[in-house]
Amino acid sequence: MPRLNLGATLAGDYLPLILATLVVVLPLAYMVLSSFKSPADVITQKLVVFPSPLRAANYADAARTVPFPRLFLNSAVVTSIGAGIKVLLAILTAYALVFVRFPGRRYVFWAILATMMVPAQVSLVPNYVFISQLGGQDTFWGIILPGLGTGFGTFLLRQSFLTLPVSVLEAAEIDGARHWRRLWRIVVPMSAPSIATVALVNIVFEWNDYLWPLVIVSKPDMMTLPVGLTLLSNSENSAASYGVVMAGTVMVLLPVLLVFTALQRHIVTGLTQGGVKA
Amino acid sequence: MSLQESGVDSPAGIDRRRFLGLAAAGLSAVALAACSGPATSATSSSKTPGQVDLSGVKPAGKITWWSNNPGSSQAVSQQIIDAFHRSQSAIRVELVTAGASYEDIAQKFQAAQAGGSLPDLVVFSDVWWFRYYMLDSIIPLDSLISAVGIDTSDYRDQLLADYQYAGATWAIPWARSTPLFYWNKAHWAAAGLPDRAPKTWDEFAEWAPRLNAANHGIQHAFQLPALAGYAGWSFQNNLWGWGGGWSAKDSFDITCDSPRSVAALQFLQDAVYKGKWSGVASKDSTNDLSAGAVSATIGSTGSLVGILKVAKFEVGAGFLPGGPEATSPVCPTGGAGVGIPKKIPRENQLAAATFIKFLTSPENTLLFAQATGYMPVRKSAKTASLVAKAPQSQVAIDQLAVTRAQDWARVFLPGGDQEMAGACANILTQRGDVGGQMNALKKTLETIYTTQVKPHL
Amino acid sequence: MFLAFAAPNVALIVIFTYRPLILNIYYSTLNWTLGAPTAQAVGLRNYVTFFTSSEARQVLTTTAVFTVATVGLSMGLGLLVALGLNRKVPGAGFAQATVFSPFVLSGVGVGLAWQYLFDPTVGALGAILRQVGLSSPQWFNNPSLSLVMVILVYVWKNLGYAAVIYLAGLQSVSRDVLEAAAIDGANRRRTLISITLPLLSPTTFFLMVTSILNSLQAFDLIRVMTPLGRGTTTLIYDAYLQAFGGYNQAGYSATISTVLFAILVILTLIQLVLLERRVHYL
Repeated sequence: MPRLNLGATLAGDYLPLILATLVVVLPLAYMVLSSFKSPADVITQKLVVFPSPLRAANYADAARTVPFPRLFLNSAVVTSIGAGIKVLLAILTAYALVFVRFPGRRYVFWAILATMMVPAQVSLVPNYVFISQLGGQDTFWGIILPGLGTGFGTFLLRQSFLTLPVSVLEAAEIDGARHWRRLWRIVVPMSAPSIATVALVNIVFEWNDYLWPLVIVSKPDMMTLPVGLTLLSNSENSAASYGVVMAGTVMVLLPVLLVFTALQRHIVTGLTQGGVKA
Repeated sequence: MSLQESGVDSPAGIDRRRFLGLAAAGLSAVALAACSGPATSATSSSKTPGQVDLSGVKPAGKITWWSNNPGSSQAVSQQIIDAFHRSQSAIRVELVTAGASYEDIAQKFQAAQAGGSLPDLVVFSDVWWFRYYMLDSIIPLDSLISAVGIDTSDYRDQLLADYQYAGATWAIPWARSTPLFYWNKAHWAAAGLPDRAPKTWDEFAEWAPRLNAANHGIQHAFQLPALAGYAGWSFQNNLWGWGGGWSAKDSFDITCDSPRSVAALQFLQDAVYKGKWSGVASKDSTNDLSAGAVSATIGSTGSLVGILKVAKFEVGAGFLPGGPEATSPVCPTGGAGVGIPKKIPRENQLAAATFIKFLTSPENTLLFAQATGYMPVRKSAKTASLVAKAPQSQVAIDQLAVTRAQDWARVFLPGGDQEMAGACANILTQRGDVGGQMNALKKTLETIYTTQVKPHL
Repeated sequence: MFLAFAAPNVALIVIFTYRPLILNIYYSTLNWTLGAPTAQAVGLRNYVTFFTSSEARQVLTTTAVFTVATVGLSMGLGLLVALGLNRKVPGAGFAQATVFSPFVLSGVGVGLAWQYLFDPTVGALGAILRQVGLSSPQWFNNPSLSLVMVILVYVWKNLGYAAVIYLAGLQSVSRDVLEAAAIDGANRRRTLISITLPLLSPTTFFLMVTSILNSLQAFDLIRVMTPLGRGTTTLIYDAYLQAFGGYNQAGYSATISTVLFAILVILTLIQLVLLERRVHYL
């Protein structure tokens, strides 16, 4: 390792790092600090960074207005089931697209790929009507079902499966391993990093998804966290509500930030895969 | 309609399959399929309010109540529910925060019509109940009122009259308000102004420069309330004061482009752009007042308790100022009532009515008023304790005597309020031409009337 | 076998993605209040209403401005940040993770936090501006500034995605090539413009495609920060407002969705042509 000129390193290398970090951290830090503000510290023209006195009452107020434990549970259920099924479907479909010969396979792939270009919002009204007819309002399956078909995961895993050495699979075929066995014994273990990526991306997506849960749920005890969070800002009397809203926001964002910090290497490298393989 | 009976909400229903078959044949085929289906029709059935038949109905044991907790009323609402539970054991009420605004609640309620779980009791603001009436999603309450023994003569007449249509009562007044003129007494004193609200807008226009001069650091002497929730409502005060209105009294004749209406809004635009004594609130003008950023504003009585809690100065509250043509009555009523959905069992409807009686009893309406600033809706509510705690409440109660029923264009046209807010935003934040904006608004409102209201009347 | 493996996913896609696209066309010919049991067939009236009102021009302009600005800014700034982060020093990994973190946060939470910062009276930005003798811009009242505000927050939230993907691209650019350039006497800027950027073009293309799609779907921030959508009503938000906002006009909403879909088809075709040419995924 060559010795670095400390001063030049600090100026040239660290300045951009510090600037970029601050732009992200400062607003979030202000949000956390503001969640401890009293109404008097919120309703003022002055810049109050450090509230005095620090009060946790906003958290109690937020929890009283919105059933946060229940919302956490809902979000956890929707995310784990939704993301889990999506990953499973993506694995199966990608395997079929890569390893099972079928006439018109290419067209199926294109039909799936094309869905990546169609935002879920375009299907909002028809899906809303359909799910409502089936009685899916205010149910977990009503929240989860319409989003299960997956173009992104299928696409990403297909790219990954295509890179697997054909020889290994051919050897397995000669051994008489069936598709099901080959999939779980060979393909899945060898593509674990890509599968983890798809899982993480889907988890983040499901956890933060807003529009569909917003329209399909009306009972608060079935709401997911993002939907419930918007209940906090009371329209007609928001004198104190910024503090309470910030408290609720912290409760929603903090767990994600913690999980992200723990897994950031996987998430970041995972998400960048698609980008650099080009 | 067969679709309604089967609980199917889609107009596609039966003929969707046929539609799919025809889709390839082009759009003319689509139109055909749509026309021939049972779900699409050119006319809708005329409505005569059918009262709920309550013979042999026992109240349900558990009901849910959707509220957006206006005026931070969640705690006091729960307190009233707890008292209700102590007073009887047959009916349990669950308070559900189903939205942060009246619009949220309305959206959820409308969405739930299509197959979701409906509440048994729902809060709706002045601009929403008529839409529910037109869509047949709420019931007339009269048979329930007599069944549970609600004494309608003890409710303040103007407030109850707001919900009467087609010979029936569609909601019971609950969190009712009027706009008030709030001011910062310290700023007033610094400018040497008399300790009262201005009698007319012209008088305030004279005061405003003195307020600006005497109080450094304020953004404006006056802050117009946030247009989204207020323009359609509180600007009726200006329109009426100038002899205009969104629509003519008790009719759907849109008059927002009349010279008098235009003059009223021109006054507001000049206050912002020429006199520069008024700003326009981004979020909540009462916050701007409490923060000391402005000297006066217009806000709902429902904001009173919130302002008193936060403001570090003495807050004045007064009647809305009058205009050159009229000084009284120039104040609209507003706020929310509670009503009962149609598509729920009669047992639940009865239980909900039983709770309404308790919720709006003289004692509880007083309790609610103390916690929020909303007005007691009962004549027999003893307001002395309320006024002792916050003398400003007396102003709200007194002003009720000089209120005027709101313009139909605002409260009966679906989305009318939003259109008014949009037009006012163009005038007051974009300096749009007042006459042109009001012309356009009139056209929009008339379209809403012909397409969405007239067919239902 | 193929069917058994692929069928569930394909069926879901057909039911919840393709079927709605066709149904939208049908719904768009109705005057239909959401939740109402009956509707009137009105033929193409909804389309006529949309395209003859000023709404169409406004919504399409807003969508175009929002998309171009968010994609351009997050990619441009993302590249700058990536160049800044592309250093092998302790802490670079931390900075990279930090810059990326807003991307995984809930748009609702982010919107609420920034809404407070932007509040002209009680927000931090206004307070800072007042201290230097300025006054706060009317972020919420002025429709153009509302759009600027939502774009800024969107870029703040999504910048890290572009940055991290560019960073990965930069790190895969072969050192040999860069060293060769240095030996040839090229300075840093020249190296960047004539060597690094062209080598990054597949990354740029990938980012462009994904960013445009993400941007067209932006909903959370718009709904949370500007619920009425004055100045910020994109096609998607308009479709939402018409059906689930104050109007409940499901037929009209379907009309807007259909217009959006038509635009997407055109965009997709353009992208596919480019994709075939530039990037060898398939």
